[in-house]
Amino acid sequence: MEIKVKCSCGEGKCPEWAIVELQGVVEAQSSFQDCLQNLQIGVLCRPSSQENYTLTVGYHELMGAKVPLKKPMLVLKKLKVPDEEEKDGDSSSSSRVEMDVIGIIRHKILFKTRPKALISKPQPIVKEKVGSSNPIMPN
Amino acid sequence: MEFESPDNREGGADAILNLEPNSSISIAYHQCFGPHDNLMLLEVDEKLLTDILHERASLRGQPDEDAVLCTQSKTYSIKFVGTSNSVFLIPPSDQFVLDGNLQECGKKDSDEMKVASVIKVAPGNMELVEVAPRLDKLKLLLSQNPYNINDTFEIDELDSIGEDKSGLYTWDNLVSRIQASDTELRSGLESLLAVEINGYWRILEENYKDGVLNMLLHNMVLNDWSPNALSEHEVISVLKVDGYPSEIAQHCLQIYGNKVDEGIGDNCIWRLDERRVCVHFARRILEGGKMKMERFMEEWVRKVPDGMHPTVDMLEGEILTEKLGIETWIYSFSISSLPFSPAERFSILFRERPKWEWKDLQPYVRSDFVYFSSAFFNTLHYSVFTSIHGKRLHVSLLPTSRDLKVPGLTSEGLLLKYTRRTQPTMDAEPVFCAR
Repeated sequence: MEIKVKCSCGEGKCPEWAIVELQGVVEAQSSFQDCLQNLQIGVLCRPSSQENYTLTVGYHELMGAKVPLKKPMLVLKKLKVPDEEEKDGDSSSSSRVEMDVIGIIRHKILFKTRPKALISKPQPIVKEKVGSSNPIMPN
Repeated sequence: MEFESPDNREGGADAILNLEPNSSISIAYHQCFGPHDNLMLLEVDEKLLTDILHERASLRGQPDEDAVLCTQSKTYSIKFVGTSNSVFLIPPSDQFVLDGNLQECGKKDSDEMKVASVIKVAPGNMELVEVAPRLDKLKLLLSQNPYNINDTFEIDELDSIGEDKSGLYTWDNLVSRIQASDTELRSGLESLLAVEINGYWRILEENYKDGVLNMLLHNMVLNDWSPNALSEHEVISVLKVDGYPSEIAQHCLQIYGNKVDEGIGDNCIWRLDERRVCVHFARRILEGGKMKMERFMEEWVRKVPDGMHPTVDMLEGEILTEKLGIETWIYSFSISSLPFSPAERFSILFRERPKWEWKDLQPYVRSDFVYFSSAFFNTLHYSVFTSIHGKRLHVSLLPTSRDLKVPGLTSEGLLLKYTRRTQPTMDAEPVFCAR
């Protein structure tokens, strides 16, 4: 079997995707487990002109940086295409598989540190306000 | 699937990659977030990237094989590398947009912050490793139905070959069955001396091949042709009279000769290759089994055409000799019968002989990755293999297409991997045995 790797976007026009990578697993609260769609994970912030980033997830803050990938990564999409020359007997099984390149990734924003708890971060302002004034608590 | 974004706050990958200093963006699960098993990440070299983006790559393999990726000239195995990190994949904002009325699950923030949406968490990615083409199966397929005298007759009876095509393979059939790039498949077919006849790739049955060659040699004598200047047109038309189709006559010239020049018009001039013709007759003689060297030489000299001078060194990679008492015996052990895959080849070699001297082993273990000049090799014969690492000389031993093809492994690398080398004294010949 031969599966042609197609690229409908064409060279140079392959849309660039992004990766945000962090250690471990992000777990949503149990009430959201089955309904993650549109749920906010966190806020990505670029505090300066350098390629350093912070990602705030709930009470946690991660420090990271934008890094170029050593080798580019392609996003492939596997498609099942119904075969044109269907034979009467088994039309259900006669589908062809195609691979389509739908994107390319050249950079990722990598957070390789352990999260820092925002709550324990010394704040110049009055301590008891910290908990409630945290604006990036998810939902 | 690609509509206008229903949510103009959606910035997608672009907004992440071009995030302005002193600004923030919300990262959220996409409205189509899910496992999306049909989305895969493939890490590629820049040079492979061009091939893939120009649609010059394909995945090849049967359902029971691990798929490989082939470009025009190379084969890569595909390895999945998992990660325990959370890899959030963020597409551009205009990809993966469903109908705007998708029921909303999570609540949205009320502020005006831009959003980049994660379509899936990638469990890892695929990596490519250049590998040798898997050509051993090619020989197996083509050996099912070698071309013989019956095929020649069937061509005359119109369409009777349409009856039974089992064991016959077109180029496309082979591409879908063999895990090799087009270039590698072509050179595999060449090394098996296969020929395309009526759309099917065939190898010739030994007896049939012998018949064509003998007919050619016979006609050379009859027509007083010079072995150094055979006219392709003449050869084809004369062999046709003797019942050999023109593809076969042409193929015979290719197997046993070299093109001298293009000649006039579409006619070519060929010169018979003494070595290949002699090797053919040696093989035929040794088909009967082991022989005493003297008897073999007598018969060989008698069998080859007049004017050809067979010498034992022509038989490198074709025969082995052994001493029994004072007699030297010779027997057939052809590199063309050995598998391409190094592990299998070494296992057969050590089954044949538990210990090998370098001069005997060398023709069977050449890697086409790097060739050592024989002179160079002899001068360094007694030094340790690793000391010649790095100093590579190209093509000097006769490269054959039966050489081992192992990307990234040189001959000495192969030997280190599959053999144990012993040398009783400094000036003794090194001996190789199985690891």
